Amino acid sequence: MEKRIIKKENLAGLVKKLAAERTVYAPVMEGDNVVYAALENGKEPLLEYGNTKDAPKNLFFPQAETLLRFLRTKRGMELKEDETGKAKEVVLFGVRPCDARSFVLLDSLFDQENWKDPYYIERRSKTTVISKGCVQPPYTTCFCTSVGGHPLSTEGADVLLTDLGDAYLAEFLTPKGEKLLEKWGDLPKADDAAEAKKKDLLAKAESEIKSKIPGKEIKTWLDANFEHPFWDTIHKSCLACGTCTYLCPTCHCFDITDEMKKEDGKRVRSWDSCMYWLFTQETSGHNPRTSQKQRWRQRLMHKFKYFVDNFDAIACVGCGRCVMYCPVNIDIRKIVTDISKL
Amino acid sequence: MERNPYLPIPVEVVKITTEVDTKDIKTFRLAFTKKEDEENFKYMPGQFAELSLYGKGESPIGIASSPTQKGYLEFTVQRAGVVTQALHSMEEGTPMGVRGPLGNYWPIDYLEGKNVVIVGGGFAFTTLRSLLNYMLYEENRARFGDITVVYGARSPGLLIYKDELTEWAKRKDLNLNVTVDKGDAGWKGREGFVPTVCKEIAPSSENAVTVICGPPIMIRFTLPVFFELGFSKENIYTSLEMRMKCGIGKCGRCNVGNKYVCKDGPVFSLAELDKLTKEY
Repeated sequence: MEKRIIKKENLAGLVKKLAAERTVYAPVMEGDNVVYAALENGKEPLLEYGNTKDAPKNLFFPQAETLLRFLRTKRGMELKEDETGKAKEVVLFGVRPCDARSFVLLDSLFDQENWKDPYYIERRSKTTVISKGCVQPPYTTCFCTSVGGHPLSTEGADVLLTDLGDAYLAEFLTPKGEKLLEKWGDLPKADDAAEAKKKDLLAKAESEIKSKIPGKEIKTWLDANFEHPFWDTIHKSCLACGTCTYLCPTCHCFDITDEMKKEDGKRVRSWDSCMYWLFTQETSGHNPRTSQKQRWRQRLMHKFKYFVDNFDAIACVGCGRCVMYCPVNIDIRKIVTDISKL
Repeated sequence: MERNPYLPIPVEVVKITTEVDTKDIKTFRLAFTKKEDEENFKYMPGQFAELSLYGKGESPIGIASSPTQKGYLEFTVQRAGVVTQALHSMEEGTPMGVRGPLGNYWPIDYLEGKNVVIVGGGFAFTTLRSLLNYMLYEENRARFGDITVVYGARSPGLLIYKDELTEWAKRKDLNLNVTVDKGDAGWKGREGFVPTVCKEIAPSSENAVTVICGPPIMIRFTLPVFFELGFSKENIYTSLEMRMKCGIGKCGRCNVGNKYVCKDGPVFSLAELDKLTKEY
């Protein structure tokens, strides 16, 4: 692994250099929000920000994407085009380590043996991820260390930038990351002092994450208590708006629908949410999850039990978006903590 | 990379059979447009496929034909939602798509050398028909022991696969019991509910497996009969239905506990279902 030093004043220029030859997605201000957007010609990325409002999963698993196109002909409806094979090489800059870790979790699902999702895999394989470590965790709602993460985690990143104070330590973690180094040319190698500083920061950043929840500890309870009075207590104020699932970096549920415009049609995949009654509504009228209680239980069980059963990891990276943006202040940290006390 | 699993395989509707008096259940025979697709579509009884109608959407339906029937697939479909209504208004010769085969299948290897009891109700006889035709196939029949079938519908007009029922009734290597809740003027067969008929014919649980599909109410009253006959939960199999989209365990809506009905099911033994949550 190559470790180099990037002077603070040079970082924006290096990102712009990449943006000159391929699309770079980076945090930018949009109204009052920091969001990921393609850097247009000459535009500089935001370097000082907490985290983006939207999760970067959108890059690999867009909120709405066309899977297939078809055409109405005299014979009937016919396939026109399969949308795979069109992804381009892109760079995703400034991803927080919690969000970068979500890619690893999503990989385990979308790149699962025997059940591979070509649309996701293609975009993911063509994206180089530059993470920006959280030396100072941005929010009090950050709880990555409780669910298997770390504010300076390298998981899911091709390059990790760590702010050493006067400069960035750039760790080129994967072959994809090292290719960026070729583009960037001569960057001074990190010396022992920089390495020692990083080591200190690892401990310091971890200690700065003050919000702690029980993570895998609650699984034993979840395994045994699908039916329990506790489930009647968590959903009452829930509006079923789905904000938590839409902003979640690991939520991956989707719908597939067909759209027609005159003779042209397309099959579209779009995000869906387990918080909606329609999600499981069957044509017969039967619905396995008729109440918001059941839907909340599904959301929590999926993250802290089912995903752990299937992929040995909690489907939560501790970014805190669902906590920050829930319109009725439902806090998953409280629910999980309460469960640990039952 | 392997074939895009979201890409439907092109097929053509070659035969449509109206199965019931109410005309809302039809069997669609689909032939592959490309020879290589036909060769690559290797399935087993109990699997399903997404019937894909461009412009309307997709609907997951059990495969009603048997892999021993070459050259086509059959699906028996009730007219219910957007896709199935469009399907019902289609004519022979229309192109459409199929995605599959999806899911697991009836435990064929486990059934080998055993007596098999097939219990079906209403139009949930589709993948059971696939299994039955598979076992009755000349080259396969010796692999299985006695085969008993109990198939019931509310009325004679609601029995599906009527021609086959007549053919099966002639066979000596099959104990076929067709029943209706209530007969009509022309009905000469048995009357009675499926659980009652099962109790009357009382198939032995010795070296036997039951495979059951039907409306929840039928299943609820039939299972105790089989428990009484000594069938263990390991030796009773059923197939679940859930709302589905992707069919490959990604879209997240057909889970029962940590299992996805689309890829880990639809076939489960009662012993397996006991380990899952009761949310289906």
